[in-house]
Amino acid sequence: MTEKQPKYRQEIQQMMFVSGETAEPSSETTTIIEEIVHTQVVEMLKRSTVLATRRGSRSISTNDLFFLIRHDKAKLSRLVTFLSWKDVRKTAKDSDDKGGDAGDMGGDDPLGGADGGAGGGGPVVGDTGKKNKRTKVILPWDISSYFTEQVPERDDDEDEDEEEMNAATILRLKTADERTKNMTKEEYVHYSECRQASFTFRKAKRFREWAGFHLHTDSKPNDDIVDILGFLTFEIVQTLTEEALQVKAEEEMTKNRSGEANAASKKRKRETGLFGEQEEGRTPVGPKHIQEGFRRLQIKPIPGRNRVWMGGPRALQRKELRLI
Amino acid sequence: MSAPRNLHHLHHNPHSFDALHVNGYHLHRAASRTPNRPLTPLPSVNSAATTDADLGQDEDPKVSFFAALLRRNEARLETLYGLKNCEDVHGSSTDPAEVVEERQDDAPQTVTAPPKKPARAIDEDDYDDSEGEDDEDSADPSPLKAKSTGPLAAMSLSSAPMVRQMCSTSMQAIAKQQTPPVLATKNSEDARKKLEQDKKETEDAAKRSFHTLFYSAENDRDAMSDQKKLEESERQVDVEMSGQGSSGTPSSNAATGNGQQGTLSQTNLGASSLTLKHLIARIDMKRDKVVASDLELRSLMSEVRKNRSKWASEDRVGQEELYESAEKVLNELKAMTEHSTAFLQRVNKREAPDYHAVIKHPMDLGTMTKKLKNVQYKSKEDFVTDLNLIWSNCLDYNQNSEHFLRRHALFMRKETEKLVPLIPAITIRDRAEVEAEERRQHQAEVDMDGGEESDDEPIISSRGRKAPGKKAKKGSTAPRKAPAGTSENSLSSEGKPPNQHLAPNGLGSNLKNENLRAESEAATERSHTDPITPPFGINGMHISSSSQLDPDSMDIDGAESFINGAAAPTAEAPREAEHEEAGYKIWKQVTKKDRARVTAERHRLFKGNEINEDEPALLRTKAGMRSWLKKQKQAILEGAAGRRRAEAAAKETEEAAPSGETLAEGIEGEEESVLPDYYDTMSAIPDLPDRLRWIEKTPGVVEDASDEYLRVLPQGLFTSPESSLVKKIGDNMKQLQATRKICSKIAVVKQMQIQSQMYHGQFQKVDPAPLVEQDVEAHVMNDGGPVVSPEVVRAALRRSVGEIFFHTGFEEFQPSALDAVTSLASDFFVKISKTLADYAATPKVPVPKAVPGGSGQVDVTWKDRFTQEEMILHTLHENGSDLEALESYVKDDLDRSGTKMVQMQDRMKAHLADLLRPALTDAGPDGSNAFNDGSEQFVSGDFADDFGEDFFGFRELGLDKELGLASLAVPLHLLQNRMHNAHQSQNQSNMSSNLPSALPPPVPLTPITIDNIDDQIGLVQQFFRDKLATNNNKPLIEDDDLPQKQRFPKPRLPPTGKISSPRKRPIREPGPGKGHPRKKMKLNNGDATATATATAIAPATATENNNVNKSPTGKLKLEPPNHTPATTTTNMNGDDVAGVDAVGKENAPKLPSKEKGKVKDKEKEKEKEKEKEKEKDMVNGGMISPESLEAT
Repeated sequence: MTEKQPKYRQEIQQMMFVSGETAEPSSETTTIIEEIVHTQVVEMLKRSTVLATRRGSRSISTNDLFFLIRHDKAKLSRLVTFLSWKDVRKTAKDSDDKGGDAGDMGGDDPLGGADGGAGGGGPVVGDTGKKNKRTKVILPWDISSYFTEQVPERDDDEDEDEEEMNAATILRLKTADERTKNMTKEEYVHYSECRQASFTFRKAKRFREWAGFHLHTDSKPNDDIVDILGFLTFEIVQTLTEEALQVKAEEEMTKNRSGEANAASKKRKRETGLFGEQEEGRTPVGPKHIQEGFRRLQIKPIPGRNRVWMGGPRALQRKELRLI
Repeated sequence: MSAPRNLHHLHHNPHSFDALHVNGYHLHRAASRTPNRPLTPLPSVNSAATTDADLGQDEDPKVSFFAALLRRNEARLETLYGLKNCEDVHGSSTDPAEVVEERQDDAPQTVTAPPKKPARAIDEDDYDDSEGEDDEDSADPSPLKAKSTGPLAAMSLSSAPMVRQMCSTSMQAIAKQQTPPVLATKNSEDARKKLEQDKKETEDAAKRSFHTLFYSAENDRDAMSDQKKLEESERQVDVEMSGQGSSGTPSSNAATGNGQQGTLSQTNLGASSLTLKHLIARIDMKRDKVVASDLELRSLMSEVRKNRSKWASEDRVGQEELYESAEKVLNELKAMTEHSTAFLQRVNKREAPDYHAVIKHPMDLGTMTKKLKNVQYKSKEDFVTDLNLIWSNCLDYNQNSEHFLRRHALFMRKETEKLVPLIPAITIRDRAEVEAEERRQHQAEVDMDGGEESDDEPIISSRGRKAPGKKAKKGSTAPRKAPAGTSENSLSSEGKPPNQHLAPNGLGSNLKNENLRAESEAATERSHTDPITPPFGINGMHISSSSQLDPDSMDIDGAESFINGAAAPTAEAPREAEHEEAGYKIWKQVTKKDRARVTAERHRLFKGNEINEDEPALLRTKAGMRSWLKKQKQAILEGAAGRRRAEAAAKETEEAAPSGETLAEGIEGEEESVLPDYYDTMSAIPDLPDRLRWIEKTPGVVEDASDEYLRVLPQGLFTSPESSLVKKIGDNMKQLQATRKICSKIAVVKQMQIQSQMYHGQFQKVDPAPLVEQDVEAHVMNDGGPVVSPEVVRAALRRSVGEIFFHTGFEEFQPSALDAVTSLASDFFVKISKTLADYAATPKVPVPKAVPGGSGQVDVTWKDRFTQEEMILHTLHENGSDLEALESYVKDDLDRSGTKMVQMQDRMKAHLADLLRPALTDAGPDGSNAFNDGSEQFVSGDFADDFGEDFFGFRELGLDKELGLASLAVPLHLLQNRMHNAHQSQNQSNMSSNLPSALPPPVPLTPITIDNIDDQIGLVQQFFRDKLATNNNKPLIEDDDLPQKQRFPKPRLPPTGKISSPRKRPIREPGPGKGHPRKKMKLNNGDATATATATAIAPATATENNNVNKSPTGKLKLEPPNHTPATTTTNMNGDDVAGVDAVGKENAPKLPSKEKGKVKDKEKEKEKEKEKEKEKDMVNGGMISPESLEAT
């Protein structure tokens, strides 16, 4: 990261809030997250450029980005959904000429909240009527891309793959629902505002500069790419935060356990204020948690992907940065 | 048991000295050895025998008491007669009975002692006596004595007569004497046999172990050097012998001096004539009927008897047997080179300067060999004494219990003990004497018992074995106990005396004295080890040579030192023995000699540390090979490898038998070798596989066995094996192909919608052949191993990778990509198999398993470290994969994508149907609607049947079926037109549906005819006239009215907006250029009938539609391209277009002449003609094409 100045503090804070971090994280935390996100974005750009070059093209296509995250099926499905809705929005904008509405819609739905669970907004409801018209993104490894001819969509071909992907999405939405269950109206409004936080929305230029597009690709990536990256950055922040929260919870658990052992001997000492513990529980995620979470995410085995040992001692194998 | 012996020992010494002095005999060993009773001068031996028997049977004190009394009295009588020795011995009787008696009254014992004392005292110190008597008292009570005396009694029996013989030769005694020895010999023989058997068994066991154990060659060198030494010493002995030869023989000659031949046939055959036993028995039985004299018989017998050893001697009875076995024993002892080396030669003065000071009577195996060869041994006794002398000398000299030689000596002594019983207890006697004796005995028998004797007594029994004595104890057990027991006594009583005794004596008569003493002692000693009394006295020729004396006296020391050392070393020896494994020890012993030989042979090849090139190579010998073969067979037969192998082996042996026999030819003597066959690599015969054998069925014609070992590579080695996975993949691929086919149809239909015109070859035929894995072609191999053919294997892998590619959706792929992935895959598989091999080679682990019996015994079984499943799982893990990944692959990438593909195909089909719908609906079921679109083909006769039905390859695409048409006789332009129009109208209707109708259609232009040509502007009038002229003055047609095909394609503006270059192609050409020349050529040939018919048919086709066109379907299809131009021609002719060539005109008039009715008849003709045309096309096509181009 070339710039020292963190540029996305607020967005990251909002994203973390959406991901379950209720307290206000310190600027160190957001900075470290920003750095991580930056590295990831750069890595994605690099790799997709490599892929594009291999394909014989100079510009990155959406397929290259799809390919990068191909192992995370849930994420991929969310991305696909996201894109299809984006398409819907665009056509809606074109045909209905309701440009004013589109602005709100653009940001509100990185989760692909087609289902109203946490979708939190009127804007989405307006679109549901056109749901059937959304074009399906065909991934390069889908069966339909095996053939030269494209077949028009049919309504009944929701296959189990999609259901599986949707299941993951629904799970996500469910957690979001859990988080917002006890919120007041104001809080919920705040929450849905936070959900709109994005690295790219309406700040595509800033994002390009921040990520250093010109450094990593020759061509100028189109809006789709930027949107996808924006979506992915949100995912990164969310995953990181969730992992970090888990790390923190574990840490506290061990602390409590050892603390209990200590406390047993010194019971008196523990009798602090009534809200002492709650206070403690609300400390925000710190940089160390983020780092540990990042480390864990790096070593976690990817389901469905085999790391075939192709020779040479394992220790010498360079581990590439894993995309979260 | 040992105590009493010692007691004897002590007691007898003085007596023997006595005897010596009284009688002047020194044969008192016999006397001393035999306990007292036998010496009773009883006139009737019978009575003595009975007493003995009584004594032996029941130890009734009273009986024995009386017996003793009786004997004593007799002894006194004897003394009176001057036979003192008898009396002496008497006094020291160890008979239990007597002992009992003696205990009862001590006095008599002491009383009896005095009488011998005077005799003894002549030349003797007193120490013996006093000590002896003390000992006696203390030792007497030992109950064990009872047993030891039993045999002694028996011995005494046999020895008694001999003694008597000297005193008063009693025939009866001799007669009696004969029976016990036979028994004794029988016993000893049995023992010997048993020992030999044991030995053989151990050897066999060792041999058997050779088949299961491999012994290393590390000890061979030692064995070789040891063996060398042994041989050297033997050579030396031989050399010395040859030098001494002259001096050695006389002594034996002297013994055989008088040739008083016996006349008794019974005596005539020497020892070991067991083979002739029955014959002799027979002869004996019918002796009176045999006419030949004894002498004759004997010489006959000896002639018959072959294999008489070098020791055989007519004159010396028993020599052969004794010496043969003695030599065997000696050789065997020598052969234990590991231990015997040190004893092979005389101790050198340089090695041990003080040796001769300490050891008075040195002895060694070499000397013994010499003595043996010089026939210096008279009895087993002598021989054994010498042997023991060696060991005891060693033990004596090397007092240090840690000394290595002691170990060897002890070992050798043990071996000696084992081997000695193999020697028959024989005393060599002069034949003359024996015969004389026998004669006398015979006479006596005849006198006394009449003819009775012949039945009981085996007359032929070898006289040499007359040596009286009986083995009541087993030779091996007795001696072991003896030393332990004697040790205390000897230590206290005898430890020093001999030395003291020796010191003063040292010379002449004293030496003799000593000798006697030594002998007596040795004898007692022997009586423990081997309680056989050697009847030395009989022959009267004792070994009195000085050389003989030394060892004898040495024996004393030896015996003592043996006794001294007994306590420690005996305990030591077994411990040492345990160090080496029993089997290995046996191996070492048994094979020593052979190993040494083999090693020496090998050793010869080397010079220093290098191979000696001059040395002749080792050659295999027939004998070696034969024995190898024999062992091999034996091993196979013995082998526990199961019946099948045994059977195979049996078969093999049968087959191999002839070869073995051939090998056996010319073998002089097969030396038996115990070495395992793997040791003798030179003789090894490799197993020849049957198929390589050179078999001649008929002489000179070798059977070709190639079909036996050449085999055809089984099919399917290089194709995927049958499995559900492969089947799934195959199904999926088929599915893919089918879908692709539909895809191509869709593409065609879509293209038809867009394109206004179609031309031949526009669409590639898509008719994917089913994918088949090709196996390698039939291949012949010549051995059973796996096929090693990297190229083929790699190709197979490539194909598999390609399949997976295809399955993943790649319709085609670059070879380089395929190669790259193949390399990766092969790399990966190599790794997997290596890992798997590593896991499979993991050492087995012991699994302790308690035996169900509950005895606490633990049975250890060995099992693989990993089960097969574990191995595979580990391997997968090591290589970065796991079962879940594989499973998810099968589930997601095979099953699910399979279902998806099916879905996709369905959708494709539906889509295709959608696309085709306009054409189908428009045409209607009977195609009558086809007219609606105003297609001009129907009018102009522009139909397809002439140019073949499947012009566009629709049939091949399968479109005909999709369209529900029974045949494709309907020109597909129509279809195309329809579809195109439908598509167009669809699209237009969307955009600007009302546009054309908005404007009124312009007034159609009047066609130019000759009549109205003048209305045209003058400039073009001439042009039109020309045109009309060429068109037979028919009206010209507007370009727009031309059938679609013949219109000029409207030039389209390229995206640049400029018309860059004029059209180069001839405008007239509707299809690909190659069609044109053919048309011309066809017409040139005047073969217009075909085209004419075509035109004639066309309308018919149009009306009759399907019927007519159906018939030629199959055949017309043959060459669709050729007929394209024909169509064009007819069109041109009919329409009278400008640019129609002359030929076309010629054809035109002919048209009417053809009748429609003939059409069907001519169809066949037409076909034939077409075929002709084709041929002609081939010939002329190339030449004509330029002209036609110009013409247009």
